[in-house]
Amino acid sequence: MRLEKCWFCSSTCYPGHGMTFVRNDGQCFRFCRSKCHKNFKMKKNPRKTAWTKAFRKMRGKEMVLDSSFEFEKKRNRPQKYDREKMAVTLRAMKKVAEIKEKRERTFIKKRILATKKTHEKVANLKELKQSIHVLGPAAEKIKEKVLSKDTERMQEDA
Amino acid sequence: MIQTQTYLTVADNSGAKKIMCIRILGGNRKYASIGDVIIGVVKDATPNMPVKRSDVVRAVIMRTKNTIRRKDGMSIRFDDNAAVIINKENNPRGTRVFGPIARELRDKDFTKIVSLAPEVL
Repeated sequence: MRLEKCWFCSSTCYPGHGMTFVRNDGQCFRFCRSKCHKNFKMKKNPRKTAWTKAFRKMRGKEMVLDSSFEFEKKRNRPQKYDREKMAVTLRAMKKVAEIKEKRERTFIKKRILATKKTHEKVANLKELKQSIHVLGPAAEKIKEKVLSKDTERMQEDA
Repeated sequence: MIQTQTYLTVADNSGAKKIMCIRILGGNRKYASIGDVIIGVVKDATPNMPVKRSDVVRAVIMRTKNTIRRKDGMSIRFDDNAAVIINKENNPRGTRVFGPIARELRDKDFTKIVSLAPEVL
């Protein structure tokens, strides 16, 4: 049995869960649960709803471009049963899932690290601005040198 | 859930546009679902066609707004309540069928309708 993806949140629709809505032009919309179906009925855009996969992918919160997505392909032709092939496929599925998970983890780690760095930078600059008077007369020189440079750099970054 | 007084759109070219259910065939039943045969009265029809307004017709339900649950756990629902007008031999009165239909019709031996349908879901 094929496990389709939910139209709204892109999670898997397991058998016995959710529902299918068929529009009069013949297009099928599968939903994994009533939450997704309700949001569809409210005409919510999944790209603007924070908890959906589409939103996360659009905002760069999740991996979009990766060779691991190429492993999984949709085939509409039923395969002839072959015991050997099935065994190989099952093994491959496990391996693919492993690789995907690993890459996803590193992607998220990188993302978090990058945001952490920028946050730190902003905080440091703020502190420098607020308590520069502590340095006394030397403050003027540093002010011109460091602050102007940093603000420029921050603007460029932004 | 089609009951008496329910209006259904007619998804074929028999000439009727809207029918109202006045009887559900097959025992003393309150509600009809996809694949059930009903007796309807034509409420709206296109002019110069064999089926006229206020004709009493047999029709089979092909789409319902109410969710139907299948044996494999899948549940499916459609955009509207629709029916196809049929004759005594369960063949369609029209020559075309519009819109998707449910697979339940094939199980109930409306093969002619299924073969005319553009999409079977």
